[in-house]
Amino acid sequence: MKRRTFLQLSGMTAAGTVLSGCQSGNEKLIPYLVPPDEGVTPGKADYYASSCRFCPAGCGILVRVSEGRAKKIEGNPAHPVNRGKLCAMGQAVLQELYHPDRVPQPLKRSGPRGSGAFTRISWEESLELLAGQLRALQREKATDRLALVTPQLNGTLVELTTRFMRVFGSPHHLSFDLLGPDWLRTATRRSFGQPGLPWYDVAETRYLLSFGADFVEHHLSPVQYGYAFGRMRQGRDTVRGHFTYVGGRMSLTGASADRWMPARPGSEGALALGMARLILAESLSDAGSLAVNGLQTEKLLRRLEAYDLPRVAEQTGLPQRIIAEVAREFATTRPALAMAGETVAFQSNGPDAVRAVQMLNLLVGNLNRPGGVYPDGGSRVGPENSFTELLSLVAAMRDGRFRVAMIHGDPVHAIPPATGFQEALARVPFIVSFSSLMDDTALQADLILPDHAALESWGDVIPLAGTRDRVIGLMQPVVTPLFDTRQFPDVLMAMADKLGGKTAAFPYQSYQEMLKGTMEKRVGRAARRDFETVWVELLRQGGLFETRQGQEKGYRRAPGSSLPNPAEPRFAGDEKRFPLHLLVYPSIAFYDGRGAPLPWLQQLPDPMTTVVWDSWVEINPRTAAEMGIGFGDLVEVTSPQGAMRLPAVIYPGIRPDMVAIPLGQGHRGMGRYARGRGSNPLVLLALITDGTETRPAWHATRVRLTRISEKGELVTAGHPQGSYRSELIEI
Amino acid sequence: MKISWLIAGLIFAAGVVVAGLALMYYLPLDMRDRSPLQPLAFSHKVHAGDNGIHCLFCHRYAPESPVAGIPAVADCRACHLFISPDAPEIKKLMLYWEKREPIPWVRVYSLPDHVYFPHMMHIRARLSCTVCHDEVAAMERVARSAELKMGWCLNCHRQHKASIDCWTCHK
Repeated sequence: MKRRTFLQLSGMTAAGTVLSGCQSGNEKLIPYLVPPDEGVTPGKADYYASSCRFCPAGCGILVRVSEGRAKKIEGNPAHPVNRGKLCAMGQAVLQELYHPDRVPQPLKRSGPRGSGAFTRISWEESLELLAGQLRALQREKATDRLALVTPQLNGTLVELTTRFMRVFGSPHHLSFDLLGPDWLRTATRRSFGQPGLPWYDVAETRYLLSFGADFVEHHLSPVQYGYAFGRMRQGRDTVRGHFTYVGGRMSLTGASADRWMPARPGSEGALALGMARLILAESLSDAGSLAVNGLQTEKLLRRLEAYDLPRVAEQTGLPQRIIAEVAREFATTRPALAMAGETVAFQSNGPDAVRAVQMLNLLVGNLNRPGGVYPDGGSRVGPENSFTELLSLVAAMRDGRFRVAMIHGDPVHAIPPATGFQEALARVPFIVSFSSLMDDTALQADLILPDHAALESWGDVIPLAGTRDRVIGLMQPVVTPLFDTRQFPDVLMAMADKLGGKTAAFPYQSYQEMLKGTMEKRVGRAARRDFETVWVELLRQGGLFETRQGQEKGYRRAPGSSLPNPAEPRFAGDEKRFPLHLLVYPSIAFYDGRGAPLPWLQQLPDPMTTVVWDSWVEINPRTAAEMGIGFGDLVEVTSPQGAMRLPAVIYPGIRPDMVAIPLGQGHRGMGRYARGRGSNPLVLLALITDGTETRPAWHATRVRLTRISEKGELVTAGHPQGSYRSELIEI
Repeated sequence: MKISWLIAGLIFAAGVVVAGLALMYYLPLDMRDRSPLQPLAFSHKVHAGDNGIHCLFCHRYAPESPVAGIPAVADCRACHLFISPDAPEIKKLMLYWEKREPIPWVRVYSLPDHVYFPHMMHIRARLSCTVCHDEVAAMERVARSAELKMGWCLNCHRQHKASIDCWTCHK
């Protein structure tokens, strides 16, 4: 080819490329093969009201559905809990529906356990398989060898599971959540005589004192409290509420406070009682409230003698002046409000520390008052001792007492291995999982009966503690199920049918019918006459919302209840060998790990450290400097229970004697976005046994750090290419 | 050769490129095919013109949705099971149906993503389809008659006293 021809040709090719670049990318118009059903208009969206069951807060959602596909989720403005707002997790529920690694139909294990080798089977075959196992138990009169493990359920699902287990004849139903508020129920019962969850009127208060309650991130009802916090700060013309946060690590909630008091871990209860003593000694307490609750100042002072200011200051590591100042502010500003959270509760002295904080509320007389605490505001039904039940279940499992275990949720990932759950579960011969994703539990299972995604399900969601009103949120399927899956309650009903227990115990054909029947009982008698219309209306607005009428009944200290007296905190691990306290906190994106499979949440940078995609350990700059650890270095965290390697984040918002690791990562399964990402800090946690009782003292473990290398491969939004020294960018 | 010549040549070349780009930007050039070849030789003239089928019979979502919609393959088939089933183009259509494949029509009218154009509002305003799409009933193969630029939209909105607020179309 001549040089000239070549140049001509290449010029023409270049021109052709430029011109073809002018064409629009969206140039095909693909019709339906078969026109869609009536009611579907291409290009026009429908909105369905439903409820979020991702975390126990139970917010109301509106789902935008276009051409039969769910496209977007927003908060339901009519819902009393979240009033149109929604958190990142609620928004991401959409990705659960379209997750590429969902279990499309029942699976049967075909390789060795944990290998992940499964074969697809039909629903008839799989249900018959499970029924065969259960029938064998019935035949041998060994029905108590069936265990059911679920998260803490509410509404009709509790009724259904309880009825199923009772009819079958097994008492072993464990409903356990790592972050379940059992501790708060127990403390409220011991302080006030009944096991309800409190509702805090944050919006109306003028002084908020939070003892480790991260209500902006995850505590009880984060959307509700985040909204209320905004109104407390800016919703009133003349008052800007003051907020003090007590806790060793500055969380997002702590960062929103006016004053941060990094008390030593485990000393928060002593701090609360120290403040109480100062308030009483200076006669700043509410005399009326004390009288109503049967307390006398002199008696109380005598009991609180041990909590004098110098001693409390020494215990907490905070200056005396500051403690006294906060105590006076708290007592002289009305209404004032004190909250206790997980950071305090999951210490070895947690129960008494929580009650100590509750007593502060009593001293300033804010029970059942605007801007105060409504101790019976939240959901009243719920387990109080699920951790004890977990331990006894594990013991029974270890003894080989169970033949069949039915598991909903992902306890293999979300229960600390120190309880022995994972090992004990391996001794159960037949494990059934209801996971819709291949999570860690499903990988260990012999049979997987996939549940619907949340947007394909029926259900009722009773908010845990987000409102004082009577609220029953309804879930309805907004799309037709994508795969050959079945809802967990429907499977239970089908199983009851196969085992012959249907007629008396399960008068309903399906879970949907049961839900409708239960709602019919719940609405008033007048509405029941024309229930079909009411039902449609309930579904349209997203549930049953009733504003509470009239005066609260007086809520008092339980007569004869002992005064809280938090013991010296105890920690797992010798102080010399393990010099640092470990805090394991639920991340804002993953909760206890259930958010990890959703890529939107994986991409969400942590609000405090801006880390994306990974686990990390937060270290105070002073501690890090002493040990020669730099930002992004790989360090080994060792506890008496286990060890793991993590990149270090140098974080000034943490006490020098403390390190913190977020929860939620480190899955072995759970789909392509979660698998093998980060580490699960639960393996580090040790159990604290106090005489006879073992407590879920997740924050009472000590650790030590060892620097391994400078290649932590940390990715943050602040340094998108990785840490300064990362190999990813080779500098 | 002197270095100054080279520099002058480079500057000249750059100038030519800039001028060319400016021309392409300012002149109302429309590089896109206004009447693309379709996978089936579908004739609007036969359907809408000769047989007088109303536009909304096939584009049935136009009165209620932002998009007008195109008929599903099943709809085409339903008529042509009986109407001239032996014509070569109809046989092509039936082949698509048998393979369970939708027909990949080439789009003639398209707007960028930042423009919100609702068909239903224009139909509710009793605007005839021909205002924008011209006499489709006379076209053997559909050709785009309008340039679809913002000025063209604005002109029409001004004439009909429709809103010219930015948020009307850009949302």
